[in-house]
Amino acid sequence: MLFRILKNSFLKRPRSIFLVFLSITMGAAVATSFLGIAGEISHKMSLELRSYGANILLEPSAVEGGGFLREVDLPKIKTVFWKYNITGFTPYLFGLVDLTAGTKHERAVITGSWFYKQLLVEGEEPSFQGIQVIAPWWELQGGMPQDADEAVVGASLARRLGVVLGSRVVALARGATKPFRVVGIVTTGGYEEEQFFAPLVTVQSLLGKMGKLSRVLVSAVTVPMDAFGKKDPAAMSKEEYEKWYCTAYVTSVAKNVEEVMAGSRAKPIWQIASAEGALLTKLNSVVLLLTLLALGASAIAVSTSLMASMAERSPEIALMKAIGADRLQISAIFLGETLIISLAGGIVGYLLGDQLAALISQSVFNSAIKSPLWLLPTAMVSAFAVALAGSAAPLRRAFLIEPVKVLKG
Amino acid sequence: MASMIIETAGLTKSYGEIRALKPLDLTVPEGEWLSVMGHSGSGKSTLLNLVGGLDRPTAGMLKVGGEDLLGRDEDGLARFRREFVGIIFQQHHLIPYLNALENVMLAQYFHSVPDEAEARSALERVGLGHRLKNRPGELSGGEQQRVCIARAIINSPRLLLGDEPTGNLDHGSTTMVLELLRELRVEERFTIIMVTHNQEVAAWGDRTIYLDDGVLVREEKKLVEG
Ligand SMILES: Nc1ncnc2c1ncn2[C@@H]1O[C@H](COP(=O)(O)OP(=O)(O)OP(=O)(O)O)[C@@H](O)[C@H]1O
Ligand SMILES: [Mg+2]
Repeated sequence: MLFRILKNSFLKRPRSIFLVFLSITMGAAVATSFLGIAGEISHKMSLELRSYGANILLEPSAVEGGGFLREVDLPKIKTVFWKYNITGFTPYLFGLVDLTAGTKHERAVITGSWFYKQLLVEGEEPSFQGIQVIAPWWELQGGMPQDADEAVVGASLARRLGVVLGSRVVALARGATKPFRVVGIVTTGGYEEEQFFAPLVTVQSLLGKMGKLSRVLVSAVTVPMDAFGKKDPAAMSKEEYEKWYCTAYVTSVAKNVEEVMAGSRAKPIWQIASAEGALLTKLNSVVLLLTLLALGASAIAVSTSLMASMAERSPEIALMKAIGADRLQISAIFLGETLIISLAGGIVGYLLGDQLAALISQSVFNSAIKSPLWLLPTAMVSAFAVALAGSAAPLRRAFLIEPVKVLKG
Repeated sequence: MASMIIETAGLTKSYGEIRALKPLDLTVPEGEWLSVMGHSGSGKSTLLNLVGGLDRPTAGMLKVGGEDLLGRDEDGLARFRREFVGIIFQQHHLIPYLNALENVMLAQYFHSVPDEAEARSALERVGLGHRLKNRPGELSGGEQQRVCIARAIINSPRLLLGDEPTGNLDHGSTTMVLELLRELRVEERFTIIMVTHNQEVAAWGDRTIYLDDGVLVREEKKLVEG
């Protein structure tokens, strides 16, 4: 019987049914596309954010002097559990040298590093690692060193030494000298401007520290820290620890890298990690808020068109009440109607939203996304929620209809 | 003596300043056909609505079938209406998008479960066996009113209320409807309370009460024949 009532009432008022359907579909479509690209946005944004600096610092764990990391361990970084989240890393070896350029002398920090080095690891895709990858913001006049005797000089050090591109600088350490050709001058606004950068191997041999590293900077895509991520892993139960380890918190990725670098201690660089986290969290809340607003708007639209049809249907409702329909039975008829519409609206909304998400992703991030399956239930739930929320006021109105007043005369 | 299906004492209904029903004492024995007359605005519909659980009194006692209706909440009154009362309006008030059969089944649906065979036989009973699938718009006034009667009796009510059920009908259809009600009353043994402006229609009842400005001013009992 309910089915007959619904069927006939559908056929009777296709226009108002269509309006409700449209509102619900819109809501579900917007929810689907927003939530669909939300994950994508977070991912893309955190990738972009990676260019603002490394977020994990690896240092020798030995507290007092002399500790070094081993260069041979570096390729292992590409094999860890979170390897796909690690967008780049760079090893550093620091030392003090006396630099001579023409008639000028300066004592300065020499930094041995990778600039743009191809890394081949068995079983993994070849990748490029080095300063160019994890510090792309470097303002470099000239280029990066290609050969063992090429160097980049920090801008302020270069001024004091009076060197320009192509100048020769001789470095003296432990009684040995090594000539370099300046191929780049770097401006960063930071300590790099005081340093002298040369290829890692060259600096290792100059300082007599073959295969040794002072630190490694790692750049990883991570998820924002939440309450759980901030818990102390040492105090976690086995299940908790597993969950923590399998979530890409900056701390768990750091732990991951630390495990493969012998004698290392990994520390998140909190300024970067937390700024990123805050940004991503904000971004997610904005998307969530927009989604809720869109759903709210379509619930209001549903409510408005149901209200209008409720006014038109009040004699019918009054009659049903007069012959004994109670509130539950009245609700069943009207909610049944909107829920059926929302079923259709949810499915169509999902399909539309999916397309919309692909379109947005294509135009904003220039990449195709494959929307996850959970979006279908999400779209359905949004459609139902919109339908229910939109039905509340009309239903209240239906409850308030007094048969004696409507049926009079 | 038959038991009283309706008992009121000091029954009052006011709409703000307007007192539609002054304190009214009325008893109706089970199985009676009671006609209610009075000029327009005298409170006839008001009385019928109170007795049918469609409206609540402002004051007074109202017992239907031995139960105090004042104790029921809104859904309780809805239950009372579907289990106890059949209503026939002057404007038949059928659902326009449902056919005759479905309109009758709707009352079954709210009462318990729709039973198509039973609904069909009720419509046959009122002489509409051939118009089951027609919508109200495709039926004459008299036919529509007979659908209403079928809907009103489908759940075997103890109380059948009619608010000028023949008000819109011509003489022929009026007689047909009244005869139908008389036959049905014999079979179903319900009590009828019928509001009418027509002396002739009122005369079909066992008793007629006259309301004037919310007050019961006079009653006439038909002499039992034979
Ligand atoms: N909902 C209402 N609000 C205010 N006053 C009302 C309401 N319903 C009825 N009345 C008033 O109550 C009085 C009795 O009305 P009622 O409908 O019972 O009269 P009636 O005898 O059925 O008249 P008629 O023969 O015209 O149908 C009238 O004065 C009417 O104006
Ligand atoms: Mg009236």
